[in-house]
Amino acid sequence: MSNNFIRAISVGEIAPGGMKAVELDGHEIVICNCGGTFYAIQRRCGHMNAPLEMGTLDGTYVTCGMHCAQFDVITGQALSGPVPADMGNEALPPRVAAMLQNVGMQMQHVRTESICTYETKVEGGWVHVAP
Amino acid sequence: MKKVSMYTLSTCPWCFKTKKYFADRNIPFNYIDYDLADGATQAKILKELDAAGATGFPFVRIGDEVISGYQPQRFASALKS
Amino acid sequence: MDTEARKKALHYFFDKLVGPLGFKFTPDVELKDFLLEQEVKLEAKHGVPFCPCQPIRNDRARDMKIVCPCIPYHREYFDALKRCWCGLFVHKDVTDPDSLPQLPPKEVGLE
Repeated sequence: MSNNFIRAISVGEIAPGGMKAVELDGHEIVICNCGGTFYAIQRRCGHMNAPLEMGTLDGTYVTCGMHCAQFDVITGQALSGPVPADMGNEALPPRVAAMLQNVGMQMQHVRTESICTYETKVEGGWVHVAP
Repeated sequence: MKKVSMYTLSTCPWCFKTKKYFADRNIPFNYIDYDLADGATQAKILKELDAAGATGFPFVRIGDEVISGYQPQRFASALKS
Repeated sequence: MDTEARKKALHYFFDKLVGPLGFKFTPDVELKDFLLEQEVKLEAKHGVPFCPCQPIRNDRARDMKIVCPCIPYHREYFDALKRCWCGLFVHKDVTDPDSLPQLPPKEVGLE
């Protein structure tokens, strides 16, 4: 059990199913309320660094809002990678198409890594996190 | 003996059961795993499935008869008739 | 990525989706486990968990209709079969999934 807990948010600050991003001791952390139990994960998605508090929390699974990679908030395990986007059928302006092709090509080589998790404790109506 | 051929998927348990049905009875058969085939073969397979009104695998041909799905009773009667 | 952890997560998500549609996971635990494992592999390859028993056509509009659970896209058909094509899901009242035959649409009176 860690002994450098920092008081982060009050227990009432996020409703069950919600998430909030905080910065503690220079670490960007997202606190998740999973049915009344609090978990803390790194803010940055293990795929392409998107802010996870802008994704969705379902049970103890967080889905990134950028490309839908999913993580277990208890273990930080990466469960699935990005979902291919639908660009539609309309022709794109050539420069946009070229940029997307370049990005798409490089994204094939991006891995979805597991994310860091942080210890939490609830004390005196506050959620504390050890960054 | 009637010719038996089928289109299957390497990921589908019903396809394994279908192959096993004929293997257990020592009935020779040809098969193509759709997911491991090249684009042209896949297109050909899809055309046949669509024409027969089949939406999934296995897709079995026994003589002139087409059977969609794992249907051991239909396999048996098609082999007999 | 951890296959068992992913299977567990898919189980969690799918359970919530198919219940309101009148379906549940097949009581055939071995079949369920095998199919979920195939879906995890398909998801790792294609980005989404496709049905392990239907063709991936590389036509997005049609392929979306076989992303598991694909029940909503085949509602009338699967209700007539009391199961989905691959058998991962069955109607809630089914206790003997082996008794449910795997038939094409025209053999249950549909096109």
